[in-house]
Amino acid sequence: MSQLSLKRLEKSFNDSRIIKGIDLEVAEGEFVVFVGPSGCGKSTLLRMIAGLEDVTEGQIEISGKVVNDLPPVQRGIAMVFQSYALYPHMTVYENIAFPLRVEKLPQDEVDRRVSAAAKVLQLEPRLKHRPGQLSGGQRQRVAIGRAIVRQPKIFLFDEPLSNLDAALRSEMRIELMELHKRLGSTMIYVTHDQIEAMTMADKIVVLNAGEISQVGSPLDLYHKPDNLFVAGFIGSPKMNFINGKVRSADGSTVTVDLGKLGVLSLPRTSTAVAGQDVTVGIRPEHMQLGSGEFTISTTPNIVEHLGIHTISYSTLPGGENFIGLFEGNPTIEDGKALDMSFAIADAHLFDSRGLAVY
Amino acid sequence: MSDVARTTEIAAVDSPAIVKPKARRRTARAMIDRYQWYEVAAIYLGIAVFLFFVLAPFIEGFLVSLKPLAQLFSTPYSFIPKNGSFDAYFNMWTSVPMLGMHIFNSFFISSVVTLIVVVIVVPAAYAFARFNFAGAGMLLGLFLAVNMFSGAVLLIPLFRLMRAMGLLNTYFAMIVPGAAFLIPSSIWLLRTYMLRIPRELDEAAWVDGASRLYTLRRVILPLAMPGIVVVAIMTFIGAYAQQFIFALTFNSKTEFMPLPVGLFAFFGKQEVQWNELMAASFVGILPVMIVIIFLQRYLVAGLTAGAVKQ
Repeated sequence: MSQLSLKRLEKSFNDSRIIKGIDLEVAEGEFVVFVGPSGCGKSTLLRMIAGLEDVTEGQIEISGKVVNDLPPVQRGIAMVFQSYALYPHMTVYENIAFPLRVEKLPQDEVDRRVSAAAKVLQLEPRLKHRPGQLSGGQRQRVAIGRAIVRQPKIFLFDEPLSNLDAALRSEMRIELMELHKRLGSTMIYVTHDQIEAMTMADKIVVLNAGEISQVGSPLDLYHKPDNLFVAGFIGSPKMNFINGKVRSADGSTVTVDLGKLGVLSLPRTSTAVAGQDVTVGIRPEHMQLGSGEFTISTTPNIVEHLGIHTISYSTLPGGENFIGLFEGNPTIEDGKALDMSFAIADAHLFDSRGLAVY
Repeated sequence: MSDVARTTEIAAVDSPAIVKPKARRRTARAMIDRYQWYEVAAIYLGIAVFLFFVLAPFIEGFLVSLKPLAQLFSTPYSFIPKNGSFDAYFNMWTSVPMLGMHIFNSFFISSVVTLIVVVIVVPAAYAFARFNFAGAGMLLGLFLAVNMFSGAVLLIPLFRLMRAMGLLNTYFAMIVPGAAFLIPSSIWLLRTYMLRIPRELDEAAWVDGASRLYTLRRVILPLAMPGIVVVAIMTFIGAYAQQFIFALTFNSKTEFMPLPVGLFAFFGKQEVQWNELMAASFVGILPVMIVIIFLQRYLVAGLTAGAVKQ
């Protein structure tokens, strides 16, 4: 049985619909990441699960019980806020102990739980300090500590790492993953950073304009994006899109006319796309230098040398921007024509509605 | 890079012929806070002129309190007392025996007004800062409108009201109107302060199971303390200043008179005891000073530091 289930969940502010009917099942112990561009409703969705926002339509069930009208504390959730939301006048100890004080637990129980949490989060030497004296990462750990002591069924994280600098962020990412392993609790994590989503999630929920675009494991989303939005959102640099028109679709092969780039034949069983305007997608990292199964001749406008990678930016005859990402440090220069190619198996095809064609 | 290092570097760039910055004092001040000597002189001169205007009446008042009465009317007038003494500070208690009572009344009325205002304003400001309820904006506008009337305009209606309720010549008549006029501006002040406390703190407490009142007590009150102290100080001073007009109108009993009205006792039939009157004024403001010195310890700035990442 799933631990959290959302059924046709909707949310409107005045007349604008923010969440447009979301169905989702989360199993116990899963690490689920909500990802999407800003304004897609991912934070609102999390706040609805937390009980900070009303539900306009639909149902939220936790462990089989409808919790729509329950306050957060009775839902068995704990939340870590983007801004940490620590109480600046209290010590780290009192910050972590706050939920236990609300519950009026006896002092020795509070002591036991706070020190257990502090041990897990390596905050023991900091218990007597105030949040103002801590670094960003430590503050974040205090916020997590406050969530742990209640021993909730579900942890909710609202972009917890977005205020940290890059180095600390990857460190905290690993810490959070270790924490998830150790506690084994269900975690729901909101981020706009697809790297966080790809690295941490068991299951990624890609949200776009209040709707679920696709749900799947990180590699599913990477290799088999359901639509143009997910294809463009997952992966960095972004997937290249080339506009074309289907010349023929005979049930085993779809032949796409890419204009001046030539004609591309893809093994697809769909026949519905015949005659449609379609989009061919190819990831920059799947490009190789030199000619191959499908070769593109282009002149890069800009070449970035990153040591481990080299990235070329060029404009295709059809006006689309095209990015190539190559291993190592090949000798390519901006302004000099070159050939690059990709394998047919790496190409993605999307129909005129933006849905993947198989 | 330290400040000093940066300064020398800039100096080196500025002067091609390498001039040693020997005259440059090593200060910890940022470049934007550094002034030439004449600028500093001008700033202090400005402060001195301003302070003189503010403090001159106090200085003169204090000097008057030191002079014997005869010297106050001598021509030519001398500002510096010739054979000054603190006699007035001792004699005033005998020439106006109720003086101690007047000082106590002033202090008592202001304290009770402050207490009432703080008790009412804190929850009200929290409600206006956090809850969206119908008419909140209109109520706030109304408070501002009330503030535009000075108490003096409403004195006659208030008098009739007090008389009708049989409350003339009581402490109540001097305390309640005073508190009523001070509450609206205090709500505005404290509401603004509370708006600066991040809403996430309320939400975090709510998620952790705290009730609204628990959150107010454990989270909001400690963080709003500097704002509450400002409200308390302003109310105390405001109550001290405005009690004159209420006391004059609503009270005719000597034992309830606060100091500003009580000082009239120094106006004799023949002459006014100016020196003792000044002395009494100075002693009278002493309690206010003590209260303010006591309260300002709670005016800790930056208490919210570290709550959220700004």
